[in-house]
Amino acid sequence: MSFSNLMRHGFPGGMSPPASLAALRDRIRQIEAPARHGMLPFGLAAIDRALPGSGLALGAVHEILGQGGDEEDGAAAAGFIAGILARLGAGPVLWCLPRPDLHGPGLLAHGLDPARLVLVCAKRDDELLWAMEEGLRTPGLAAVVGEIGRLPMVAGRRLQLAAERSGVTAFVLRRWRNGAEALAERERPSAALTRWRVAALSSRDINMPGIGLPRWRVELLRCRGGAPAAWEVEVADATGHVSLSAGLADRSAAPAGRKTGWVEAESLRRAG
Amino acid sequence: MPLADALSFLPGLATAPADPAADAASLARLAEWCGRYSPWTAPDSVDGIKIEITGCAHLWGGEAALAADLARRLTRQKIAHRIAIAGTLGAAWALARLAAVNGSPAIVATGEERMALAPLPVEALRLDPVTVHDLRRIGLKTVGELCPMPRDALARRFGEGVARRLDQAFGDMPEPLSPLGEAPLRRVRLSFAEPIADPADLARAIERLVADLVPRLAREGIGARRLDLGFHRVDGRVEHIRLGTARPSRDPRHLTALFVAKLDTIDPGLGVEDMILAVFEVDPLPPEQLDCVGDSPEAAAHDMASLLDRLGNRFGLDALSHIEARESHIPEKASICARLGEKRSSKSPVIPGRGRKPASPEPMNTGLWKMDSGLAAARRSEMTIKQAANKALKPPRPVRLFQPPEPVEASWLVPDNPPIQFTWRRRWHRVARADGPERIAEEWWTEDIAMTADAIRDYYRVEDAEGRRFWLFRAGLAASDPPPRWFVHGVFA
Repeated sequence: MSFSNLMRHGFPGGMSPPASLAALRDRIRQIEAPARHGMLPFGLAAIDRALPGSGLALGAVHEILGQGGDEEDGAAAAGFIAGILARLGAGPVLWCLPRPDLHGPGLLAHGLDPARLVLVCAKRDDELLWAMEEGLRTPGLAAVVGEIGRLPMVAGRRLQLAAERSGVTAFVLRRWRNGAEALAERERPSAALTRWRVAALSSRDINMPGIGLPRWRVELLRCRGGAPAAWEVEVADATGHVSLSAGLADRSAAPAGRKTGWVEAESLRRAG
Repeated sequence: MPLADALSFLPGLATAPADPAADAASLARLAEWCGRYSPWTAPDSVDGIKIEITGCAHLWGGEAALAADLARRLTRQKIAHRIAIAGTLGAAWALARLAAVNGSPAIVATGEERMALAPLPVEALRLDPVTVHDLRRIGLKTVGELCPMPRDALARRFGEGVARRLDQAFGDMPEPLSPLGEAPLRRVRLSFAEPIADPADLARAIERLVADLVPRLAREGIGARRLDLGFHRVDGRVEHIRLGTARPSRDPRHLTALFVAKLDTIDPGLGVEDMILAVFEVDPLPPEQLDCVGDSPEAAAHDMASLLDRLGNRFGLDALSHIEARESHIPEKASICARLGEKRSSKSPVIPGRGRKPASPEPMNTGLWKMDSGLAAARRSEMTIKQAANKALKPPRPVRLFQPPEPVEASWLVPDNPPIQFTWRRRWHRVARADGPERIAEEWWTEDIAMTADAIRDYYRVEDAEGRRFWLFRAGLAASDPPPRWFVHGVFA
């Protein structure tokens, strides 16, 4: 039933005002929801709770940034995206990038089968954006990833519209060529539904010499309909799942364990 | 006559240096433009163009009309010309150079070459100057005088050339004509009364050409793989859009979209008067319902192929690749970006005495990549790290791999240890933790090995103070002379 129908016929079924108000809100949320193509939960209550609809909206554009020197390489961001793609069906993925420096075994360690990737190399951002848009018009794809330096508002909006129409999810991996570009682009708003920053974090000590369990600091910088938040997680494993740091990663553990994890994540949560 | 003499005779003489290369290029361009009359055109030595118009003349209303059209267009381009049409290449050559005059083409019906050539001088037979000189010295000045001579005497005295040229000119011996380019398999042409230059008009013309072509392909059950669309401009230049498709296609919408997408690479100049769409490669394509919309695997494959076509035609097929696993220890060979749609090579040369060995790493099933996530499993089931480490069969690999590896300035305390700090891309990193080394050496069993000290690499996974994890390696042995060099080969996520 459309909104105008509601106005004409009144609230259906003689509901009491609070109940009908709730129903109406629900309906509006459904109409407004950017994600009519479904959600992909992270499988980690702490992160899912921060996202409206308890998961990453499919058929939308998500922006992922690196930090520090990794803004140029986009390694942590690529690993993060690989983890998400691993859980996002088995369809082909179009990955548009300026030079083919992805390494198959490395992606596989984060759960993404490299055989699913189709790489498109183009030098300029506008060419990469064009390729992304073409990909987003192809419903057979599971997702489209683009490593973009400069993302004008209009281009982002076009991607968002194409993604909404086809239901293909887009990930814009922001990869800046130099400090000047990073400075100009880092704070610029975009049309993406969410904006994440993934940074490599010192690995967790396991009482052994050498590198311990590698971790990320995942920040949700911007999210339509949600508040910013940050978590420290262990990197996506071979199933593509991230897990909360500090030894509480056992997802089959009792809810109590989750609760502790949540409290810790909460303490990291940044003020909106 | 030397230039100085010529100038003394005629002081106002306009001179220009000869540029044979540019002349040849513009002649080739003109030959290409002549493709509007026939697909078989080619430049002929330095001053002529040959066009095979068999089966084409009726499209212009006969040979005379064709010649008149050609003459009019050449005059408009201010090109002085002499045109001849004959049943043999040799006769046409002779008539164009020695019988035709500017403005009135010489046209000789098949079988009348003998009569037409008889009054012409012997130069008409495409002979070398020495032979021509010899023939003239013994009094044979015209083709007509040469004809009755006994062939064996001619051959004894002047070689096979004279007799062969005579036979070719009269059509007694076939003379194959090799066209300028590859001959197309199917070809459709569209001519305009007025030259067009507006992109929208060109797009509409493309639509019509494709609509002409598609039913022919459909009738024969084939789809186009490689196409060429030529834009013949009024100034005699020809611009091309060439494209290939990932799967044979005869979907008019798809083909039109591919051409229109590349229309901005075309400079129509003062206008385009002809457009020729030629198909150079076809593959069988059984009749199918191409427009079906649905979630069927065929529809998805069709969508995907059409996407790859669009991408490939914009960026070139080299820009499309997929990651392929190979059986190799060397990181850059273990995962390579292979061109999409390329046939996987299966040839492996036999090395004597060693049986069949792959010369290059063979592609393999990605299943071998499914690395044991021992560490992850250990975290879940409270296994000790040591057990996990034993279980983890494969060492970690970075998400990004730089090709070639990027050199860094590293400093270390003990030669066999990982560095304590390094400078990469003018940024300084202090090494906080490190794993390694993992030694990866050249594959000695392959043929192309260069057994240098650099061939041995010791890889370390290092973490800097910020937490970024790099894959460094030392090329060469630790205590060697000159000192080993360090590289960053990749970055972990």
